[in-house]
Amino acid sequence: MEITFIKRFITTSIGRKAVMAVSGLLLGGFMLVHLAENLLLFKGEAAYNGWVDMLLSNPVTPLLELGLLFLFLAHIITGAWVRVEDFLNAPSGYEARKWQGGRTIGSATMLYTAAAVLAYLAYHMLTFRFTDHSMGFYQMVTYAFRDPVFVAVYVAGSAALALHLSHGMQSAFQTLGVNHPKYTPLIKIGGILVAVAMTGFALISVYYLLGIDIKAAQAGYNVVIIR
Amino acid sequence: MKGSKHFSVTVRAWRQAGPAEPGKMVSYKVKDISPDMSFLEMLDILNDDLLKKGETPITFESDCREGICGSCGLVVNGDVHGPDEHSTVCQLHMRRFSDGDVITVEPWRVKAFPILKDLAVDRSALDRVIAAGGFVSINTGAAADANATPVEKDKAEEAMDAAACIGCGACVTSCPNGAGMLFTGAKISQLALLPQGGPERAKRALSMVAAMDKEGFGNCTNEYECEAVCPKDIKVANIARMNREFLLANLFSKR
Amino acid sequence: MKLDAKIPAGPIEKKWDSHKFNLKLVNPSNRRKYDVLVVGSGLAGASAAASLGELGFNVKVFTLHDSTRRAHSIAAQGGINAAKNYPNDGDSVWRLFHDTVKGGDYRAREANVYRLAQISNQIIDHCAAIGVPFGREYSGLLSNRSFGGAQVSRTFYSRGQTGQQLLLGAYSAMMRQVAAGTVTVLPRREMTDVVLKNGQARGITVRNLLTGELESHSGHAVLLCTGGYANVFNLSTNAGSCNVSAAWAAYKRGAGFANPCFTQIHPTCIPRSGDHQSKLTLMSESLRNDGRVWVPKAKGDKRPPQDIPEAERDYYLERRYPAFGNLVPRDIASRAAKTVADSGYGVGPSSQAVYLDFRDSIKRKGENKIKDEYGNLFDMYYQITDENAYKSPMRIYPAPHYSMGGLWVDYNLMTTVPGLFALGEANFSDHGANRLGASALMQGLADGFFVAPSTVSGYLGANKFEAVSTGEKEFTDSSKQVQDRVNRLLAVKGKKTPAELHRQLGNVMWNDVGMGRSEATLKKALKKIPEIREEFWKNVAISGADKDFNQTLEKAMKVADFMEFSELLVKDALERNESCGGHFREESCTPEGEAKRDDANFSHAAVWEYQGEGKEAALHKEALTFENIKMAERSYK
Repeated sequence: MEITFIKRFITTSIGRKAVMAVSGLLLGGFMLVHLAENLLLFKGEAAYNGWVDMLLSNPVTPLLELGLLFLFLAHIITGAWVRVEDFLNAPSGYEARKWQGGRTIGSATMLYTAAAVLAYLAYHMLTFRFTDHSMGFYQMVTYAFRDPVFVAVYVAGSAALALHLSHGMQSAFQTLGVNHPKYTPLIKIGGILVAVAMTGFALISVYYLLGIDIKAAQAGYNVVIIR
Repeated sequence: MKGSKHFSVTVRAWRQAGPAEPGKMVSYKVKDISPDMSFLEMLDILNDDLLKKGETPITFESDCREGICGSCGLVVNGDVHGPDEHSTVCQLHMRRFSDGDVITVEPWRVKAFPILKDLAVDRSALDRVIAAGGFVSINTGAAADANATPVEKDKAEEAMDAAACIGCGACVTSCPNGAGMLFTGAKISQLALLPQGGPERAKRALSMVAAMDKEGFGNCTNEYECEAVCPKDIKVANIARMNREFLLANLFSKR
Repeated sequence: MKLDAKIPAGPIEKKWDSHKFNLKLVNPSNRRKYDVLVVGSGLAGASAAASLGELGFNVKVFTLHDSTRRAHSIAAQGGINAAKNYPNDGDSVWRLFHDTVKGGDYRAREANVYRLAQISNQIIDHCAAIGVPFGREYSGLLSNRSFGGAQVSRTFYSRGQTGQQLLLGAYSAMMRQVAAGTVTVLPRREMTDVVLKNGQARGITVRNLLTGELESHSGHAVLLCTGGYANVFNLSTNAGSCNVSAAWAAYKRGAGFANPCFTQIHPTCIPRSGDHQSKLTLMSESLRNDGRVWVPKAKGDKRPPQDIPEAERDYYLERRYPAFGNLVPRDIASRAAKTVADSGYGVGPSSQAVYLDFRDSIKRKGENKIKDEYGNLFDMYYQITDENAYKSPMRIYPAPHYSMGGLWVDYNLMTTVPGLFALGEANFSDHGANRLGASALMQGLADGFFVAPSTVSGYLGANKFEAVSTGEKEFTDSSKQVQDRVNRLLAVKGKKTPAELHRQLGNVMWNDVGMGRSEATLKKALKKIPEIREEFWKNVAISGADKDFNQTLEKAMKVADFMEFSELLVKDALERNESCGGHFREESCTPEGEAKRDDANFSHAAVWEYQGEGKEAALHKEALTFENIKMAERSYK
């Protein structure tokens, strides 16, 4: 069986980047869907919990979760590989060194925003996924969003994600060879829009932080918050 | 021809006696500089001074001094090929500087281009990438009439844009990761855009990328510093095309 | 020295074909047993290496650059001629042949020039096939432009970077052979000597420029593709490393040197701005398609050019040469510029310049069209002069550019030393006394891609070769001689840098042996050159070690050879008491000041033979006969 081509996706610079780009684009798509899910919070407890129940009762969901895990791993492993290799090989020793206009804050901080997003993800998983869901998902989420520290982590995480995607989205298209004078400007704008959309996660949490809901406040927090 | 007042600068240049020797920055005063002088002519004057004092002149490479041979390459005050946009350092003129300036002059510092001496580096990795497939395999004498194969004018122009690469290595140097993607992408693009390069497209993309990786160039993180400094204004669209050529070849060719 | 040009018999159209048929072949399976040493990797060297490699010979390529792609062919801007007649304007092999012989002022060998014109079409076919991005029309077919010295459009081009694209094409063909294992490239090697055994060229001595070590390489044939010697003038359009050293070493080993006084001064270069100048930059001749050359009608008119009204401008080329106008050949345009500047009409701070004005073309075609065609040249002009040539005219002045003279070769491109070939600008070539624009690229590639593969094979097939090893006396003696010279240079420990001494020599060459030469100036130069040479050997400053990457030593070795070679050039110029092409003897001109040939006495190639150090070179002559073209006064009026 011919497997060289699969190997090339792991061993060559462009193959690895393609894996990183495809997984990144799919994860970006997932983030948009996830944001839409979060918007259901505004429709109220019934709508939100109904959606979550549908997901949990659907036999396909674990498979999707597994797929998501695979995407994350693929993205993290190839990304780390590329970046660590570059970090070790980066030109060094200059007394003076200027960037000449190509670099952006987003592109220059990819490694750091990636680390921040990973931490954000871990925090998110521990607080919402691997925890006691007995109080109901809507309650759990909206209560969490009333903890200023929790929201601060959320805002920081979303900002890192937005910065990450501000470079990552258009970069993924370039890596996959999609570059055309007609479409590339649109792709770049689209990428920025997706990045900006990521601040939606933060905005929702801030909305609940600033909102006054006595009932929830009296009930106190019953989710484990890792600080 | 504007301005004729002569002035002085201090050059801080990287001195390194050999590939394995330690190096350091050394300062030199250079006097009586005309604004019409090219930057390399200023270094010539410095070197002649050093020579007369019995010191060893600074080794740096240059040849045509009209921006086409690709021999020269310095990092001037942190700028690859100096502060002028899309230019080689031999085309930089002293009118860009003023009296009393301190100018740092450093070599390409890239893993794939080891320093040989002072400001001269070894860029032979670029030749090895070309040898891996940057050609069309037609023997001399085997070609049909040149006009038997029409080439869409826009495509021919785009191929020429890519082919304008002078192999100076500025793209590698400007890259935060020391990647050789713009160089390799330009050659793959040129030959992918022309029908003449068609029969070997898949093979070329796979083998040139493999050769590039082997030479120790870094990965591309799409930051486009290369495009910003390229003396011939070669576009990163060529890197995208290389990616496309490579991925399509990997997925759909028999190789 | 016996000069046998080995011109094949028969009608000129058939000579090359019948010669190829008569040449001996080497069996394909035996070819890899032959080592061919190619020195230089420009158009001629790279293309020869590629095609000899394709045939299966074992080729070694030596270049003084870090990469073979940097050879100075890369700087050629305008284009490459071919007799394709795609524009249907009446071109033919015969017309290209005719124009080239006439352009060279009837001082080239007819049979060679005809072959060059024949091969020209194949070059375009091959280069297009290997991916050279030539300029094209919307039809997708190749585009042509016109060049000086021709009334047809036969010049193929890749923007203003034709040399670059052709060189990279030849380079890529060669790199393909590197991958195939038939060609080995040895970069950063300067050839310092040719090694002869039993009268045959059997190897070379090279200096490894990184380590300073001398290396011996043996082979069955040696091809010198080492370019021209215009840097003998110090300031020229040539790159810094262009030199005469390899050709000079060959000359000292018995190769005849032909017509050294035939040098080309290119009319459109950016004028020098001061003593610091390290090189002069060419502005492609193609600019003369759209630029009009003029000077003010009043002497010493220092007004900005825009302020000088039409009636007060002298478009002297259009006035003097109405038929060709701004597109007269280079030698004529250069001399005309010198004449007006010397008469006090020069412009710019130095008054050693004339205007090349695009105002009318910009008005007619629009700035964008001009930008499309010459944008890179206008950018280059701006970078060097800080002036915008879209707004005010360029200032240009002639500068040494090309050497038509070189090692004498026969029809096989073999020098007078068996097994030692010279290709491209290094040979005395097909351009006679003046090269037409866009013909150098054509000749370099014709020699390398098409002529040498046949004739070198023919030589290898027809001769017997003793085994040689680089340990033999001939090789060790050669290395010792080179090392002695290096040691002598390093022992001088003087005060003047090689660059200063080169400038001194260049000034003499430019002032006394430049665009106008007379017996008086030449004799003056013959007196000054030995003095400068003596000073060089007494007072040259070289620091650093021999066994090291030592650029000062490299430069000094080149200058040392120029110090000797320049004298031969002047002697040749003195000997040739006629004006022809780029060689203008002030004693020999028409009443209107045009060059006047003396066919009765000088219809020959002057070939100089080395007689040993300190001895006068011996002059031999190869008579040039013209059976197919009638010699006439060269008129572009």
